[in-house]
Amino acid sequence: MKRYFITFIVITLVTFSWVRCTDFPVDEDGLLITTRGQCYVSNFELLGSDFQTVRTKAAVIDTTAQTINVEVFFGTDLKNVYPQFSLVTDAKLDPKIVGKVDFSDIANPKVYTVVSGNRMVKKPYTVYVTVQAKP
Amino acid sequence: MQLKHYSLALLTILVVFFTACQEEEYALPTLEGGLHNDCIKRTLGPNVVGLNLEFAYAMALPKAEGKIISAQVEASIAGAPATYLENRSFSTNGSGVDVPVTVGSPSVNSGTKTEVVFTKDTCAATLRYFYIIPEEARGKTVKFTFSAKASNGQTVSYEMGPYSIAKMDMKLDLVVSDNNNSYISIADMAVYNAATAATNAANIDLVYLYRVITGISFTHALVSPASSPDYLPGITLPSGVNKSAKIWKVWALRDQHLARLQYGIFIDDLDFQELDFTGAPNYAINLRAEAGIWVETADGKYRAYIYINKIDNTKKEMTISIKRYPMQ
Repeated sequence: MKRYFITFIVITLVTFSWVRCTDFPVDEDGLLITTRGQCYVSNFELLGSDFQTVRTKAAVIDTTAQTINVEVFFGTDLKNVYPQFSLVTDAKLDPKIVGKVDFSDIANPKVYTVVSGNRMVKKPYTVYVTVQAKP
Repeated sequence: MQLKHYSLALLTILVVFFTACQEEEYALPTLEGGLHNDCIKRTLGPNVVGLNLEFAYAMALPKAEGKIISAQVEASIAGAPATYLENRSFSTNGSGVDVPVTVGSPSVNSGTKTEVVFTKDTCAATLRYFYIIPEEARGKTVKFTFSAKASNGQTVSYEMGPYSIAKMDMKLDLVVSDNNNSYISIADMAVYNAATAATNAANIDLVYLYRVITGISFTHALVSPASSPDYLPGITLPSGVNKSAKIWKVWALRDQHLARLQYGIFIDDLDFQELDFTGAPNYAINLRAEAGIWVETADGKYRAYIYINKIDNTKKEMTISIKRYPMQ
């Protein structure tokens, strides 16, 4: 009886650990690795220190050229803005955005890499910021 | 063995059933004798000098035992002269309106004490106490002892507090205009025109301006005198006005003391202490009503929150209210 019980427990544990290790893999950030290979930015937002948008119009996202062009209001403090990326399902961004970002070095635009859900495709997007010109 | 189990189960069921079926007869509560009291604090948010702390103090005794002859509040720090204890007891009618009934003579302040002597034969009353926070209480704590006396010689008392009194200052409804009073001093909590700004140059932290520039959104702006001329178009600064305050633009931080709107948001001393001005710019343009700015003066002596109550594009002016905290 005892032998049957131990055998049952061992089989259960092995089954659980096998299922966990094969069907639900996670990456180093604890995010689910899926089968999706899509890799693009669907929307881009830039917020000021008051968490209001600093864009003058919608950002232009070119998924072929992998660029984002955004124009911001005159007087925007580009040293303290919060970028927000909307990505295709299951994709993630590298580097992560953890707070304010300094976009003031306009000559050297920032590059963010989108990593697909299956973590096999990586596409770097360059963010070009222009400030509304004073007439 | 089996019989024993059955007996135990039966006994348990019987006990549960018996307990569940026991009914308690309702009885009218007996009136507790003697003088009793209770108190609640009605004001919310930080306690700022000049504002009031409001309490509702209730006292009662059975009618047969006597009447209330006086009510008194003793504060650990004497309130400002306008401090008073209501001589009217309020009850709320069916429409939700507070209806007053005068129960005593107007309160008298004597040092730290405020007293109302009852003139009506009443055995129950709720009096409101308005403690106007005095300058002496700034940064300290204050507590209160409410007490009542009945005609049968009984007395009761109720302790409230201690309550911390904020260090910050407040100034409401300063009007700044583009061509006149456009210089703001956080140190003085005042606005100046160009002539008076020159005589108070060391204390000028911000310049207000309103500009309509085609192609860009500038409108209402609060800018440090030392900011880039791009943000001070058409401004000739008075001599000596050259400070660079740090500014964070804020949206929808409608402090209830400053905005006097329905939002239950209060800026307290702690908010000023926790602010981080690292990398903050020295200008804020395109400001709107109900927005605001956090400011740190160039010498780091003060931090302030300037709330924009109202803007007027035609008059090129805005109405601001300030909360200021001394950092040193």
